[in-house]
Amino acid sequence: MDVELIINGEEKTASIPPETTLLKLLREEFYLTGAKTGCDVGDCGACTVLVDGEAVNSCLMLAGQLQGRSVETIEGLANLEDFHPLQKNFEDLGSLQCGFCGPGMILSAKQLLEENPEPTKQEIQDAIAGNLCRCTGYTKIVEAVADAAKEMREEP
Amino acid sequence: MRPFEFIKPDSEASAIELLGKLSPNVRILAGGTDYLVDLKHTADVPKTVMDISRLPELKGIDEVDDGLRIGAGVTHTEIMQNPLIKKYAPAMIHAAHTIGAVQTRNLGTIGGNLVTCVPSMDSGPTLVALDAEVNIVGKDGTRRISLTDLFVGPRKTSLKSNELLTEIIIPKRSLGKPANFYKFGLRKGQALALVNAASSLWIKGGCFKDLRISIGAVAPVVIRCLKAEKYLEGKKIDEKLVKEAGNIAVTEAKPIDDFRASQSYRNDLIAVLVTRTINAAIDLADKD
Ligand SMILES: Cc1cc2nc3c(=O)[nH]c(=O)nc-3n(C[C@H](O)[C@H](O)[C@H](O)COP(=O)(O)OP(=O)(O)OC[C@H]3O[C@@H](n4cnc5c(N)ncnc54)[C@H](O)[C@@H]3O)c2cc1C
Ligand code: FES
Ligand code: FES
Repeated sequence: MDVELIINGEEKTASIPPETTLLKLLREEFYLTGAKTGCDVGDCGACTVLVDGEAVNSCLMLAGQLQGRSVETIEGLANLEDFHPLQKNFEDLGSLQCGFCGPGMILSAKQLLEENPEPTKQEIQDAIAGNLCRCTGYTKIVEAVADAAKEMREEP
Repeated sequence: MRPFEFIKPDSEASAIELLGKLSPNVRILAGGTDYLVDLKHTADVPKTVMDISRLPELKGIDEVDDGLRIGAGVTHTEIMQNPLIKKYAPAMIHAAHTIGAVQTRNLGTIGGNLVTCVPSMDSGPTLVALDAEVNIVGKDGTRRISLTDLFVGPRKTSLKSNELLTEIIIPKRSLGKPANFYKFGLRKGQALALVNAASSLWIKGGCFKDLRISIGAVAPVVIRCLKAEKYLEGKKIDEKLVKEAGNIAVTEAKPIDDFRASQSYRNDLIAVLVTRTINAAIDLADKD
C-alpha cells in the first residue's frame, strides 16, 4: 500500500506492506534511525516520535494510520545552525550515558514543553514515565528538561 | 507481523457496512496499544484489519439528553483534558491518568480499553460506579446495554464480531455524582493494577444513597460489589460501617495468586481500596 505523510516538515511517500509499523517505516524506508527499537510492544519508549505534536510509541502504530499526518523525529529537531534547547541542555549536563533512550526522552519532553512551558519536577517525571533509561537514574534528565524549559521561556 | 489487509473507512456507517460484509475475517484497530501487541505475537491474524482510530463519529464528548456521551474513539489524553469530564465525572480523569504513560494515553482509546476487557482495565471501575451504558451498532441496528453486560470474561465481551462499540453514556442521574477511583500497582508508572476500585454515592439526610462500589483485577471481569453496597445503602455515614463494607467486598471477589502478589495481599488491598474510595467520595459529597 502507498502512504503519504509529512516527516520533519517534508512530504514523503512510501510503498510498504500493510503490516509495517511506523517505527519500521522510519528506520527501514527513510533511514531515520533515531527512533530505536527497544521492546517493540509499547513499554520502553525508545521508539517515541511525535505525531501531530503528540508523543506516541511508533512501534504501536501501523504506517497506514499515518496517511496525511505529520511526524516529527529526533532528526528534525536541530537545524544547521543550532541544536534544540533540549538537546543542548542534555549535552551540557551529561544527561545521557549510552544514549539509547535519548531520542524518545527528548521528544516526550518536547511535547511537554510545548503544552506546559513551566513544568514542575513532578510534571516532568510524569511526561517521561513512558521512557525507560537503563543507565542514568533519570536525575540529570529531569534537570536538563527543567533547564531547557527555563531557557525556552527566556528566549522563545 | 504476518501479512494482512489494511482498510480505513471514513465514516461510522461505512465501517459498520464493512464489518457486516467482512466479519468474522476482520478485526477492528483503534489506538492499537492492545491489539498491535497481540498481532505481533499471534499466528491468528485476521484477513483484514480495519482502522477506526480517526472516525469522526467515534470522537467527541458531549452533553446529550440522557447524560454525557463519550465517543468510543476518545483517547485517555482527551478524557484528561476535557472540561465536561472535569465538571461531571472528574474521577475519570484520575483513572485515565493512571493508564500506562503519556504515549499510551495519546493513542489508547476508552473503547479499546473496555473491549479488550482485561480484568485490570483502569477505565472500568469508575464507569461501572457511575452506572455507565454503552451503545453498540451492527448491521441490524443499535442496542444500548449496561456496561456490566458488556463484560463477559477475561478478554471476552458480549460484542459480536460484526458490531462496533460507538459510545459510552454516563446517565444524567450520575453526572456530578461524588466518586473516587484508586489504583494500586507495584509502581506508579507503567504498571497494571493489582487491585483498582471506584465508589460513587450521594448523601441524603446524613445517609448513603445510591452507593456504587466497583472493583477490578480481582475477578474475571470488573465487578460491582452488590453485597457491600446493600450493607451501606440507607445507613448513616459511619467510619466503622465503611470499614465493614470493605471487608464484605472482599467476599465478593476472587483474586488470583501470582508472582506479582499473593491472594491474601490482594484481599487486604480490596478492603483498603474500597474503604478509601468510599471515604473519598464522602468527602466530596454535599452533606445535608
Ligand atoms: C505500555 C502499556 C501500558 C498500558 N497500561 C495500561 C494501564 O495501566 N491500564 C489499562 O487499563 N490499560 C493499559 N494498557 C492497555 C491499553 O493501552 C488500553 O487498554 C487502551 O485503552 C486500549 O485501547 P486502544 O484504542 O489502544 O485499543 P486497540 O488495541 O486498538 O483495540 C483493543 C481491542 O478492542 C477492539 N476495539 C477497539 N475499539 C473498538 C470499538 N470501538 N468497537 C469494537 N471493538 C473495538 C479491538 O478490536 C481490539 O480487540 C497499556 C498498554 C501498553 C502498551
Ligand atoms: S520499542 Fe516501542 S515502546 Fe519499546
Ligand atoms: S542513557 Fe542508556 S538507556 Fe538512557
